[in-house]
Amino acid sequence: MSDTSSFDFNESGKNGKHTSKYQNAEPDDKNKNWLEGVFRRYYFYHYSQIELGELINEHEFGFRLFDGKIRRHLAFNDKKELYAYIIKFSPSDIFYSSSRYQNPKAEIDQKGWIGSDLIFDIDGKDLHLECAQSHNLVLCRDCSFISKGIIPKCAGCNSTRLQIIDMPCSRCIKSLTGEVKKLTEILKDDFGIVSESIFIYFSGNNGYHIHVVDKNFYGISAQKRSAFAQYLMGKGYLIENLGIRKNTDGVLTPMHNKVQYNQGWRRRIFDSMHLPIQNHRIDDKFVKKYVRMLDAKNNNTNDIISTNIFDLSAKIDPNVTMDIHRIFRLAGSINSKSGLIKAFCKDLDSFNPFVDACFVGGDSNVKIDSKLNIKISLKGKQFSLKPGANTIPEYVAAYVVCKGIGDIQ
Amino acid sequence: MCYVIKYNLVVRFGNKDLAKYPFLKEAFSYIVKYDFKLEDLDSRDYQHLIDKATKKIEQYLFFGKCEYQINYSKTHETIVQEEVIIFIISLLLIKSISIQAVTKKFALLESMRFEKYLISDLNTANQDDKTIKLILYKIFEDLFSTKILLEVDIYNFYKIRITDYLDHPIAFQEKEWNLVNRTLHNGFVYLDGTEIVRLFRNELYLLIIDRIQKMSIDRIPDTIMAISKSIKKRWEQMHPSINEPAYNVVTPPCIQHIYDQISKGENLPHPARLLLGTFLIYSNKTLEEMLDLFKRLPDFDEKITRYQLEHLAGKKGSSKRYYVPSCEKIKLENLCYETRICQGISNPIQLVRKKSDI
Repeated sequence: MSDTSSFDFNESGKNGKHTSKYQNAEPDDKNKNWLEGVFRRYYFYHYSQIELGELINEHEFGFRLFDGKIRRHLAFNDKKELYAYIIKFSPSDIFYSSSRYQNPKAEIDQKGWIGSDLIFDIDGKDLHLECAQSHNLVLCRDCSFISKGIIPKCAGCNSTRLQIIDMPCSRCIKSLTGEVKKLTEILKDDFGIVSESIFIYFSGNNGYHIHVVDKNFYGISAQKRSAFAQYLMGKGYLIENLGIRKNTDGVLTPMHNKVQYNQGWRRRIFDSMHLPIQNHRIDDKFVKKYVRMLDAKNNNTNDIISTNIFDLSAKIDPNVTMDIHRIFRLAGSINSKSGLIKAFCKDLDSFNPFVDACFVGGDSNVKIDSKLNIKISLKGKQFSLKPGANTIPEYVAAYVVCKGIGDIQ
Repeated sequence: MCYVIKYNLVVRFGNKDLAKYPFLKEAFSYIVKYDFKLEDLDSRDYQHLIDKATKKIEQYLFFGKCEYQINYSKTHETIVQEEVIIFIISLLLIKSISIQAVTKKFALLESMRFEKYLISDLNTANQDDKTIKLILYKIFEDLFSTKILLEVDIYNFYKIRITDYLDHPIAFQEKEWNLVNRTLHNGFVYLDGTEIVRLFRNELYLLIIDRIQKMSIDRIPDTIMAISKSIKKRWEQMHPSINEPAYNVVTPPCIQHIYDQISKGENLPHPARLLLGTFLIYSNKTLEEMLDLFKRLPDFDEKITRYQLEHLAGKKGSSKRYYVPSCEKIKLENLCYETRICQGISNPIQLVRKKSDI
């Protein structure tokens, strides 16, 4: 068992740093046993929720079990074999490769890579949202005290061994949705990828996975995928591409009458700066407006352009895109960090993860001990938890226990 | 025939054009049908072609310039035949000289020669001249496996599929050629006329090197062998191995890597030239000593290099002296080859100072 670094630990602990909450749990740990049962029931009754493409025997599967063990390099002949495995082991997380292999069970270098969809990962954490600073929680690894808001030291014992618990809000989801739209627009405009080839999934916790299923890109190397990621992030963009260069005084000056095909990054940057380009040429009108902008912004063109590039760039994780051997959370499976499903977003605008990614069923009530005062909104209902005993539906309890902010009674 | 070379091109255009592009399969077919053999090169009938190839190579290697002229005063068929044979003789000479730096310098200047022909053909062709564009398309499609299309909405822009573009090594070698610095639209990379020619030169450079390296020859004709020995001797006299630094001087690993690249005849990217130039200036090297090193670069031009070094030293232009870039900058430019001795330094010159202090 091997390289867990290429697991898609999407929300925390990338590069294999993520460990199961129950890794060192006693065999009779109530939370672990209860969740294992809830997950098993879900997979037993709702296995059809799991999304599988064709040729599943050519994909690699990986599982994280509730005891923390990881099983990789697994392959199944058909769906039935896979379902039987899932129900038997009730894994906390299920992953599968976007890549197809001649021999998916072999070690990475022996697998015989056939090809892979293009995949992009947008993680809420990478957006560094202001709201997240106030609504995320911090768990102290020493005294288990949970604080609201991001703090440098535990309020209970002053320890710095803290773990952030993502509690995304609707504003976080809105920002993520905006990022997904930005990415898909570039994919369509610049890369010529049609909407029908772009599949968007909520990751099950605090992010989105965007899959591009297009035969033109299926067989491309990791190096080319890396170039795609660099392009989408605008990393290393040279201002000279805009037709603007430093004069002898070091001032960025437009190259008058320069003809450059006005598409891609150039069009996007000029559009966002409200600088008009006619017939692909830097003309008098452009120069006039540019000079006016310079006067208004204290000649700081470099900063203005850099800010625009940053705002326009896709906030993807480049390592995910370039890693052709990575295994991803399986769509339709439960994310053990939230108890929510990795769900397909048919319509991004109307998709609400707190409704559409809740697992089917689980409406019967259970009792939990909440560790704090918190409001949770799921399936369109709001639940106000008080510290101590609370009675809530199973799907809410799964969220609370997975987040580590409450214990099953 | 004891010499095997792969030509898998069929391009249909005028004979005269073929003389300018002797690496194409169609041009090669001109000598195949007359049953040309390498052994024939020992005959006096070919001496004038050998002389022409030798002169061209000597100009490339020892003067860094190209004054080669195609002799158009013959029949079309003879012109093409002679140009193809001269091209083959050149490859043979370079192969038998067998010095990496020579191969690279030859490949660079030879590809620049073909680039000039292409630019001239593209410039003299009128907007609707499809023949010359056809040459360009066919060269790319057949020789470099890249399909080029003309953008119909805006004059003089070409487009290549994104994934095809990324098959060209230059897309990963130089910043301005990275995908992020290209115009992308609807699945295509857009290039103007100058850029498409630059791409052509770069690919042709790699192709010529590849051809020379993969040439399989049982016996090199004696005439060719004698000339190659003489060129090799002259080259080695002009380019003794790069002096080892004095025992108490430390060469920073990034600088050592540049020295190694120069020894191999690699063409340095601009940031590497800047790093080397500023480092040599800092090390109090004279202009002549610096030029001695830079002249090993395949595209060396004494006038330009002299000006640039003086500019870096603050003796020309804005009188601003350029300092050796920081390790951080060097890392960003992918020029860092950090080893244990680099621990705790933020600029390669600290290593030189550190050692001098001992």
